[in-house]
Amino acid sequence: MTLLKANCPSCAGPIEFTAGATVVVVCPFCRSAVARTDRGYEDLGKVSEVADSRSPLRLGLKGNFKGNRFELTGRAQLRHDMGGFWDEWYATFSNGWVGWLAEAQGKFYLTFYQPMPDGATVPAFDRLELGSVVSEIPNETPLIVIEKGTATPVAADGEIPYRLSPNEQSKYADLSGANNAFGTIDYSTDPPWVFVGQQVTLAEIGLKSAEPATRESRRTTAGVMSCPNCAGPLTLAVPDRTERVTCPNCDSLLEVNRGNLKYLRTLAPPADEPNFAITIGSEGTFKDGTRFKVIGAMVRSVTIEGTKYFWHEYLLYEPSIGFRWLVHSDDHWNFVEPINAADVLASENILGAKSARYNGRKFRIFQDASAIVEYVKGEFYWRVEQGETVRAVDYIAAPLMLSQETSPSEINWSVGVYQSHAVIENAFGLKSLPRPSSVAPNQPFGGSFYYTWGLLPIMALFGFGILLLPFTGLKRTVYTDTITIPPTATDAAPQVVFSKPFELGARRNVRITASAPVSNSAADLDVDLVNDQNDEVESVVIPVSYYEGVEGGETWTEGDRTTDRTLSSLPGGQYTLRAEATVEGTQAPLPITITVDQSVNRGVNFFIALLVLAIVPIINVFRKFTFESRRWSESMFGSSGDSGDDE
Amino acid sequence: MFKKLYLVFGMVVILTYSAASWFGWEAANAGSRSRLGVPFIYTGYRGGK
Repeated sequence: MTLLKANCPSCAGPIEFTAGATVVVVCPFCRSAVARTDRGYEDLGKVSEVADSRSPLRLGLKGNFKGNRFELTGRAQLRHDMGGFWDEWYATFSNGWVGWLAEAQGKFYLTFYQPMPDGATVPAFDRLELGSVVSEIPNETPLIVIEKGTATPVAADGEIPYRLSPNEQSKYADLSGANNAFGTIDYSTDPPWVFVGQQVTLAEIGLKSAEPATRESRRTTAGVMSCPNCAGPLTLAVPDRTERVTCPNCDSLLEVNRGNLKYLRTLAPPADEPNFAITIGSEGTFKDGTRFKVIGAMVRSVTIEGTKYFWHEYLLYEPSIGFRWLVHSDDHWNFVEPINAADVLASENILGAKSARYNGRKFRIFQDASAIVEYVKGEFYWRVEQGETVRAVDYIAAPLMLSQETSPSEINWSVGVYQSHAVIENAFGLKSLPRPSSVAPNQPFGGSFYYTWGLLPIMALFGFGILLLPFTGLKRTVYTDTITIPPTATDAAPQVVFSKPFELGARRNVRITASAPVSNSAADLDVDLVNDQNDEVESVVIPVSYYEGVEGGETWTEGDRTTDRTLSSLPGGQYTLRAEATVEGTQAPLPITITVDQSVNRGVNFFIALLVLAIVPIINVFRKFTFESRRWSESMFGSSGDSGDDE
Repeated sequence: MFKKLYLVFGMVVILTYSAASWFGWEAANAGSRSRLGVPFIYTGYRGGK
């Protein structure tokens, strides 16, 4: 439905304003941006044709958001001051709304104009701090500043709902909130305009059908070009997103600008030529079946206490997922993916916080340093530079590492998952990757099983101990008597006494207790349990001695008037006890009480079993302690303690 | 692999403990070796005592 027909003030070609919210129409004949004003039509200048960004969207596409139908009626391409372009699509809704659908790096953000409450205004651009919450904006979840920059509209098409002036720079800030909330502050107007919405998928806005064919086609899309420096062949794996590429022939760093290559400089390789473990161009399949292609690699470093530490990062790409990273440091590997900054919670200002929470887990700060790009190879989706420096803060909760990288214009969060050698070797078909000799910041401790689930046998032991108690641990006295050892002429002459026969049960241990009123004297009892049926004998020696005295004004005692000895079970049946006593230190008759008990619960077996079962857990607790000590010895915030890791 | 071995080892220890409890075996006992087959005639020999 055409609301307004007019002629282009530049070329007089017919133009149409089909939506009430349209402010600017791009003349399809002469590419002039024509604005309608209260005085007529104004030519704002020529805009370029939009470059093919391989977006799945196109003008005229109809979608649906939360039950409201819309049509994509306009599009602008804006250039980021750090390099790169992004698309903004303008969705005209049937109910009169206008939505801004931004598309950047394969993600989509649908936002709407958000009027500010009376008297409220957002902070000025220069006062806006990365990582801070813009509390003035009414929204369900706090919105955090994640990026500040300058945008320049360079191309447009269709109808634009604001006054788009070609090549006129304006400042903006991107905001992020929990649950995929997203916002933008546009400082091109005074007061600034605020747009609030959320990250969406094409399916959520009724444009799912626009996605698959285009996305799939990207898998096979690769641009073959010539290096402007050496004319050598150069292949771009992701030509629609690549901003920088290095020439494999002459090591030049090239800028990729809308399909054109521009020579920037020849890279100076570091003193030690980096030996990348994974070749650029190789592909790796991970556990979930996702196949990533390595399109770039870089050497980065941090300097801590005068020592430079290097590591390698590989840029991975998969068309339907986007970019991921594989980080190789000290022969440890991490798979890294970006996360929403608003999903990270910190107890204080997010910049420099000592701990952070993500996905319900607490992460402890491990390192806070400036990370520098030393060398690059391959292609990259941003304007990477040798010497590019960001503040990198790492938080750990093994096997995860939360990383915050802050530049003057943006703040990025990512989460890395520790990968074993086997995973990397299997993924890329490599063999014999070097094994690490150190403990990585987020390396999980491999032995925690033994003091967690590995405690199950100990728990079972307690269970069995309790269950068996009624059968084996209820003491029963089978014989007790007092025998009197007659006095002897000499201490050494043994006296022999026999008991009356008594019954011993089978499968029960036997405890023989001897008790005698010795005082500064001793009686050694050689006790034989004689099986009356077959004359088998089990012997045990029971010494009973008790000495006391005073030495240096202090009393002392030694020995015990009651002593017992325990035997394993004997065959059941009738037994006679033979006691042979050797008494020292007394010439008087010595009464000795002998008691035979069975089913005595000594707990020796239990404690031996417990000790045997506890050896492995105890060893692993000790290993864990040393493991954590080694981990934290590498930290700028070294402290002992658990990293909360899981295997 | 080692985890499974450890659990198997743990089960063996528990079974051994249970068997010892059931049969009245004492892991640390003071008895002599049973002198099977020796009739009860005290010879005075006490293993070198």
